[in-house]
Amino acid sequence: MNVRRWGERLAVPTAFVLTVAILAVVFYYPVLSVLREAVVRAGSLTAAPLVDVLGDPFYTGVAHHLFTAPLSIPAGVLDWIRAGFPSVEFGLFGFTAFQAFLSTLASVVVGLPGAYLLARFEFRGRRTLRSLTILPFVLPSIMVAVGFLAMFGQNGLLNDILGALGLGQVNLLFTLEIIVLAHAFYNAPLVTRLVTTAWESVDARRVETARALGAGPFRAFRDIVVPQLLPALLTAALLTFVFTFLSFPIVLALGGLRLATVEVWLYARVQDLELAEAATLGTIETVLSLALTYLYLRYEARQTTTGGGTTLPRRALAVGWKTLRDPVRIGLAVYGVGVLVLFVGPLVSMIVESVTGPNGLTGAYYEFLLNQQATTAAGTTKPLPAIANSLAFGVGTLALAVPMGIVVSVMVTRGGTGSRLAETLMSAPLAVSGVVVGLGLLQTLVFGTTIAGYRVTAGGALAIVVAHAVAAYPFVTRNVTPALAGIDSQLVDSARSLGASRFRTLLDVELPLVWTAVLAGGAFAFAISIGEFDTTVLLAEGVESYTMPVALERYIGNRSLGPSLGPATAMGTVLLLVTAASFLVIERLGGRWEP
Amino acid sequence: MSDAVPERDPTTTDAGVALDNITVEFSGVTALEDVSLSVDEGEFFTLVGPSGCGKTTTLRAVAGFEEPATGEVHIDGGRVTDLAPERRDVGVVFQHYALFPHMTVRENVAYGLRFRDPPGGVADDERVDELLSLVDMAGMGEREPEQLSGGQQQRIALARALAPGPDVLLLDEPLSALDARLRERLRVTIREIQQELGITTIYVTHDQSEALAISDRVAVVSGGRIEQVAPPETVYREPQSRFVAEFVGENNLFDGEVTATAPPRATVDGVEIALPESAAVDTGDSVALCVRPEVLSLGENDTASNATTLTATVEHREFLGDAYRVHCSWNGRSLLVKTDSREPPEGTVTLTVDTDDIHLLSDSGR
Repeated sequence: MNVRRWGERLAVPTAFVLTVAILAVVFYYPVLSVLREAVVRAGSLTAAPLVDVLGDPFYTGVAHHLFTAPLSIPAGVLDWIRAGFPSVEFGLFGFTAFQAFLSTLASVVVGLPGAYLLARFEFRGRRTLRSLTILPFVLPSIMVAVGFLAMFGQNGLLNDILGALGLGQVNLLFTLEIIVLAHAFYNAPLVTRLVTTAWESVDARRVETARALGAGPFRAFRDIVVPQLLPALLTAALLTFVFTFLSFPIVLALGGLRLATVEVWLYARVQDLELAEAATLGTIETVLSLALTYLYLRYEARQTTTGGGTTLPRRALAVGWKTLRDPVRIGLAVYGVGVLVLFVGPLVSMIVESVTGPNGLTGAYYEFLLNQQATTAAGTTKPLPAIANSLAFGVGTLALAVPMGIVVSVMVTRGGTGSRLAETLMSAPLAVSGVVVGLGLLQTLVFGTTIAGYRVTAGGALAIVVAHAVAAYPFVTRNVTPALAGIDSQLVDSARSLGASRFRTLLDVELPLVWTAVLAGGAFAFAISIGEFDTTVLLAEGVESYTMPVALERYIGNRSLGPSLGPATAMGTVLLLVTAASFLVIERLGGRWEP
Repeated sequence: MSDAVPERDPTTTDAGVALDNITVEFSGVTALEDVSLSVDEGEFFTLVGPSGCGKTTTLRAVAGFEEPATGEVHIDGGRVTDLAPERRDVGVVFQHYALFPHMTVRENVAYGLRFRDPPGGVADDERVDELLSLVDMAGMGEREPEQLSGGQQQRIALARALAPGPDVLLLDEPLSALDARLRERLRVTIREIQQELGITTIYVTHDQSEALAISDRVAVVSGGRIEQVAPPETVYREPQSRFVAEFVGENNLFDGEVTATAPPRATVDGVEIALPESAAVDTGDSVALCVRPEVLSLGENDTASNATTLTATVEHREFLGDAYRVHCSWNGRSLLVKTDSREPPEGTVTLTVDTDDIHLLSDSGR
């Protein structure tokens, strides 16, 4: 009896310690080793590598003077003014921030009308559309890149259509525009979602009070609605900036090295085995993104949601013939077409491309997925093992991330010091790029490291699964925490007073009541694992451990079947099916993703 | 393996529940301050007070849900201060029933039996049936909690709390979510079951009339302190403080100054009022006089020597069914009178109060 009691008493703390240990080994230790690499040379602390990078005009553009010759800046500025403001280079960091800024702007422009539509109009499929705004989070970004190639590429659907209409060709490939569009594909739904939620929480009674006090519709909107939307909009914009600043597969696939961002360049350095420079770059990038995330968290913490009240009424979207005379509704219709091109276009193009060849319909690309099994030529990327690996890693991630996520949720909802620690633990991985984590893992566990006198190496599959679990468990926590917090504390107290230990209460009462949230979180975790690219691409080696996204990236480069995206689109379609299935589970179970 | 969690200490008192100098703080705010209580074995003891006064915190300290910053908790004479809730042998019933929604009624009632040593098997089934009959819910075992009405759910919650045979039953506003008529019926049921089992019971309510109706003794709690502990009649007739006088029932309170001691008299706003012979006061003392609305008689001119007569004006009357509540004004103060007269007078009236019906608050009731 005593043994059992002690076991139950220790179960949650032990699991929490294990979770922290996994995070320490697979996240904190590797990332810190990257940071160490950047500031320690030959056993002593030095700023030289950092200054080298920051003082290199290639990285920091005109700002490199800040680090090389700060005293000459005033004179330099004067020279620049005298020369009549010639164009200025901002370097790799400048470009990365610039594209993130443009992407944020595009996401807001594309996302805001969607929030207006969803919050203020009633139409068939509104709820479905609203839940579809989570979909991008589970779509693998490398797959979306393939979709964009299929839609906007040289031989893409858009050019096919334009050609058929005799309108000539556009080439968006390897341009900033396509990268910004792809980022909008990911982040505009985030803007839509957050702003819609804020809009729906505006109390109609307040607007009515303002109207009754004499404010016109526009004044009431400006004075009552806008102040409630702005915080949500700013939150979404800040998050979008962080995400697009760190964006990797989209820029890699759609921009290549010509339009490289810090993250892509970092990856290229690792590929060239310039690990020291990569570490320095990763350090600077991590410091920047941590600062941005800190800003975001500070800002988010200040926001208070005013719940309750009556939601603003929705108008019917279609009002018969009058629909065609209302400029707002016509505007929304045009917006709808644009959304269709941007969001549905790439996915449909990918599926269409996967079944059409130069001579019409073909199953060749799917056959190719199977055929290549036979060839054993070095360097070939076999599709079937990739599919099998992805699914196996997904299941492994599930098995690890779900308990980790639940344990962190339990700690968070119990309050106290553990709660704050758990929340902090959870936010940190959000702010560190997958490539930096991958680089850290390469340098530590994969290449081998010495812990307490033992040489430890953990490569391939194991490293990938654990890294995926670390990336995925916050999604379990995000789903389970609110569900656990929503359980009436009297249920827990009742079970305790009836003789159940804290752990038994969790098993007998709490978990059975939140199982849908656990499942939704699990589906998220699975989808994250299936789509993970940034870390996996650095850790995957040989046949044993590459995954669908990694194979996909290789197929984009491998045009052995002519100038066709065929194999990539076929693989992309498989990936789409798997992630769409996860999305269905999440949607059915009311899964949530709130940053 | 050694068990560092202390088992109950040997008997130190024979009280059913004893709290010794309990202080509970929530992030620096004191919710309970140095509270000591002793509940007798088999007693029905009620904590009553306004919301936020600390009565629920007191109950939760007994159950082990709140950890006191200082002080000791004893149950059946054993020290339980450091025991987890599941090891205290208490049964708890909450306001919102807290039935486990994913279990049937039977599974709910049987839940606490799982942790008895050794588990009972068939005996458990019998025990559940026995309790369902006790709360008049026999045959409802296979229902889901959500199929039951509020009153039925609360009966099941009571059965569940009693099933493991706890030493103490703790009820936290168990009737507050129910409508008035059901509340009165169920409180009789609770009292009857408590009497039948003879179980030590602590009952928390904000409803003073419920507290008076159901309890052996009542503790009036305010601002994290106990104001008075006494049988219901004493709390009502002889409140110890201004707070108790005003919280329990209705009261007319006058501040006055003692002008004479043999016989004792006081002036209130210049009007002389006779005090009870037994009043232990000195000339010049400030006193507070409590006069219940029902001891003021309206319109009858009682000429007995031990009565005080006041001339007041009727402002308005409320008909309560079995009585009238008459709002009067006297000397610029409002005065409440309760009368069962079929037709209370209006206009200027004479109010008479028997001297012995005036209760004095010592220390001006501070």
